[in-house]
Amino acid sequence: MNKRLVAALGTVVLGGAVIAGLGTYVASAKNDSRVLAATPAGTMETPQGKLPHYTLEMAAYPDSMAGSHGKDGGVHADWVTYGPVTNFQVPAHSAITITIKQYDSGARLNNDFFATVHGTIDGTATINGVAVKSVDPEAVGHTFTVHGLADAKSSLFVSVPLPAVPDEKLPPTGYTTNPTTVTFTFITGDAGDYVWNCEYPCGDGTTARFGGPMSTQGYMAGNFHVVNA
Amino acid sequence: MTTVLDHPTSAPGNSAMKRPLIERLNVFTAFGLGIISAIVFWYLARTFLPENTEGSFIKTRLDAVTIIAMLGWFFGFMTGIGALIGPFRWLLGKDLDHDESMFYAGKDQGIKRYFRYTTDHKVVGIQYLVITIIIFFVGGTLAMLIRMNLGHAGGGWLQPQTYNAIVGTHGIVMIVGTIIMITGPFGNFIMPIMIGARDMAFPRLNALSFWLIVAAIPPMLSSFFFGGISTGWSAYAPLASQAPPGMDGYIMFIVIFAISTMVAGANITTTVVKMRAKGMTWNRTPIFIYGVVASVALALPVFPLFFLSQVMSAMDRAVGSTFYDVRGGGSGWLYENLFWIMGHPEVYVILIPAVAALMEMAPVFTRRPLFSFNTAIMGIAGISGLSILVWAHHMYVTGWAPLLNGPFMLTTELISIPTGMLFLVLIGTLWRGRLWMTMPTASIYALLWNFMIGGITGIYLSDVPVDGALHGSMFVTAHFHYTLMGAGLTGALASLVFWFPKMTGRMFDRRLSWIAFWLVQIGFNVAFIGMFLVGLAGQPRRVDAYAALFNQGNSVTTMAAYSIMAGMLVLLYGVISSWTNGAIAPMNPWFAKTLDWTVPNPVPLENFEVLPVVTSDPYGYGKAQS
Amino acid sequence: MSDLDVKKRPSIFKRKDVRLTGFLWVIFSVAIGYFAGEVQTRSMGAPASDTMATTINMMKVFTWVSAPIAGLVGALAATTLLSKLHFGDTPPEEADHEIRNSPRIVSGWIVVSAVLCLFAVVWGMVVLQKDDAALLNPKSMNVNVVGQQWVWNFDYVDNGKVRSSDLYLPVNKPVVFHVTSKDVIHSFWIVQMGIKIDANPGYLTETSVTPNKIGVFDVRCAELCGLLHAYMQTKVHVVSQADYDSWIQSQGGKI
Repeated sequence: MNKRLVAALGTVVLGGAVIAGLGTYVASAKNDSRVLAATPAGTMETPQGKLPHYTLEMAAYPDSMAGSHGKDGGVHADWVTYGPVTNFQVPAHSAITITIKQYDSGARLNNDFFATVHGTIDGTATINGVAVKSVDPEAVGHTFTVHGLADAKSSLFVSVPLPAVPDEKLPPTGYTTNPTTVTFTFITGDAGDYVWNCEYPCGDGTTARFGGPMSTQGYMAGNFHVVNA
Repeated sequence: MTTVLDHPTSAPGNSAMKRPLIERLNVFTAFGLGIISAIVFWYLARTFLPENTEGSFIKTRLDAVTIIAMLGWFFGFMTGIGALIGPFRWLLGKDLDHDESMFYAGKDQGIKRYFRYTTDHKVVGIQYLVITIIIFFVGGTLAMLIRMNLGHAGGGWLQPQTYNAIVGTHGIVMIVGTIIMITGPFGNFIMPIMIGARDMAFPRLNALSFWLIVAAIPPMLSSFFFGGISTGWSAYAPLASQAPPGMDGYIMFIVIFAISTMVAGANITTTVVKMRAKGMTWNRTPIFIYGVVASVALALPVFPLFFLSQVMSAMDRAVGSTFYDVRGGGSGWLYENLFWIMGHPEVYVILIPAVAALMEMAPVFTRRPLFSFNTAIMGIAGISGLSILVWAHHMYVTGWAPLLNGPFMLTTELISIPTGMLFLVLIGTLWRGRLWMTMPTASIYALLWNFMIGGITGIYLSDVPVDGALHGSMFVTAHFHYTLMGAGLTGALASLVFWFPKMTGRMFDRRLSWIAFWLVQIGFNVAFIGMFLVGLAGQPRRVDAYAALFNQGNSVTTMAAYSIMAGMLVLLYGVISSWTNGAIAPMNPWFAKTLDWTVPNPVPLENFEVLPVVTSDPYGYGKAQS
Repeated sequence: MSDLDVKKRPSIFKRKDVRLTGFLWVIFSVAIGYFAGEVQTRSMGAPASDTMATTINMMKVFTWVSAPIAGLVGALAATTLLSKLHFGDTPPEEADHEIRNSPRIVSGWIVVSAVLCLFAVVWGMVVLQKDDAALLNPKSMNVNVVGQQWVWNFDYVDNGKVRSSDLYLPVNKPVVFHVTSKDVIHSFWIVQMGIKIDANPGYLTETSVTPNKIGVFDVRCAELCGLLHAYMQTKVHVVSQADYDSWIQSQGGKI
């Protein structure tokens, strides 16, 4: 009889091990752990006083040949993607300047709200050298929108539209040499885990064009960690 | 093998090939033909389907190809298992002869009959038992992955798309598992013996209903490789039309499973109505039979709607229709209605047989008659009847029809009356009984406890203003786990221990059954009370990450979930070890009075040598009037 | 089926098990009502609107009303467990009675559960009516709520072209939310105010509330809406009317 109890315990251990193994495999296989940390750039005078300054550079591509999907674009070479990676890390209580090079064409947003710049210093972003508060909602390529859980002590909501590269300026193959360059600066609050995603409907042809790359982290969505420096 | 594949349908006409064909088909040929057929269909669809047109609302080609390949799998599998031989022969005008029928019934085939299209209800019952265990193992593993993710402070251990796929698959796998967990194994194995019948009314439909479930599982599991079921088990449109091709696996799974349920429902209902033993009048029919019939008969009118809702979902995805797409004149509310017209009766499809099974055991383990048999029947009938009138309580906050919230609140709260009757019957039977403490006896108490919590929290949720605060939160998740798992699964595990001796000829290891019982019940209550608390505090359902405020509750739930896991694994080991070398069971180990205990172990092919005649109800326990 | 009750025993309330049950019934009912009620109230936190206060109150009353039922079932079950238990491979003796029914108990049980059920329905209807009537209050301010995967945004239609991602509300002023979605179904939920309504693409749904406490509260999405459903959350800032007006002006709106 006692042999049975030992065997039952063995089953539990074995079953637990199987489940733990499976969990670890699923978590690691599906988790893109590559994180791009912001580079320090001295200090910056902001409305909140002098703060440490950091910069971050990224790009939005019309397919996955660039970015972090490998040489042949990975499983979904035709999906739009951000690059060089899709997880970012910035310090808390700092001024963060992000520069995004946008290589894609575009059209109308689902929601004009995202044609306006939100959450940056002065509510402006610099687009190809010109500071603006909002752009034409009919010609947006992508957006970079950071948001998080409601309970965070200080909330972070930053949304910046990335205007489209006009169709006639897109080369037939490869990427344009003249991407839209968007630069903006915002101030982070307390440390916390946020996410970012694109709010321009650039996914596959499903409902609201929000399927495919829009619904997959590693393409048009990712993590945005604010950490204590 | 090649002969089978080359001439799957010409064989019945060829008398030389006839025997070998029937005898050659089994689960392996089914999987082989299914896979080959899926590849052929996939290739043809990919080659011949037109490209997407620019103007279509929804991208359709990939989904059309996926669905056609899955249909190919389905037809191939059913042909390969031999489901078409009977109908084909019937069309030719020469039905199976006696020897063939006996072969179909699994005569003298030993273990092989479990891997074939076998019609014997006892074989089907065992097959259902094994598939239920497999389904629970898959669903339970997914549940543990969910809890591992949420146990991590703040969540976020798995990527959101992975997490969503796991949640959706866990949901639908468990729903299907709980739907079949009693009417499948025990409804098929025990029920015909209990009513004194030699087999089901339609033995071939019985085999069909089982193999349809087997055919349905691979499309569902395949969804993991196509983006997963990312919508939760309810698969609301339009989220479902946005989901990756994994959604097609869900659709196919539901479509096939709904057919299986309808087939099983027609079969079981007919069997009980027409084939009860002589003298088994309706008030001598055991209460478990009522539970099984209520369950499957309730599924009969509602599962076609589930079927329909998924066919329409498939059309939205694959041929560009707009049933649920507001841009084309459709509405997501249409889906919600179709879904919940099935969805609410379905929880009673799960619950009623579990409660009825425990009612069947209660007199046995208290050695006194069932208290108020008529009340039990009224309760079961009342729940079944009302349950098809309450679906929109899942839609109070959808904005579909605010004016109907009042009426649906009324019907929903009325259900508490027949539910109360079931409590009365159980508690009345325990009262002044002589308690024989076994794991099933303890399960009756566990059911009373869990179902009471599940029921009262259900009353909160049925109230529209309260639902406004709690809908879509973890509170709801905890509530329905209390009913489906706390009440439903508890009844099913008790049934397993109770009928194990009859089904396998061996006793279930008593000590292991107790250990499993306590690990599962304690773990369950701690886990889901914790979930109630985070729900009350405002944690939404189906989230992979959450605010720090919910850390504590979630880690408690996760730790307790490990106890459930341990309990279920002990039970699994108990099944395996008791089945292989448990103590040999006597014919009637529980000294019960229903007909299922009057047949020897193992139960002979047609159950009864001489059909029994029933002269009283099976609850004549207790000393004469003292 | 014999409907024979126990032989008339005038002394039923003197039986030991009946007395024990009665004693346990009282204890269990009070314990359940108190404990469950406390746990709920504490977990749900401080309400930020009358709607939420009513909800918490309703749950508390429902708990106290169902406590005697749960307590009775618990007391009966506990009493049976306190009787002599039999373990082993063979059954105990048969019970010393064969009571099969008791029409009095059954009908009493049904009547009591029907009355409690009726109470819950009627009260629910009354509160529901109040909530519905609030939608028609002409003094309410209006806010359009738009859900788009996975961000909420708010239009202050009474104040010109003001839009925001955090919700700002003046305290003690009724507000009607007109909710819609740009893509899939979301559910707009202000946790501490106890209101929730789905955001459906192509339709407007409405709900209303009067915030009665200054502070910061949570908006969460309560309907699985895809990848970042967990993060579809934002804050509600309930401020004084003066602060609200200055916020509106700072956003370029008119008061």
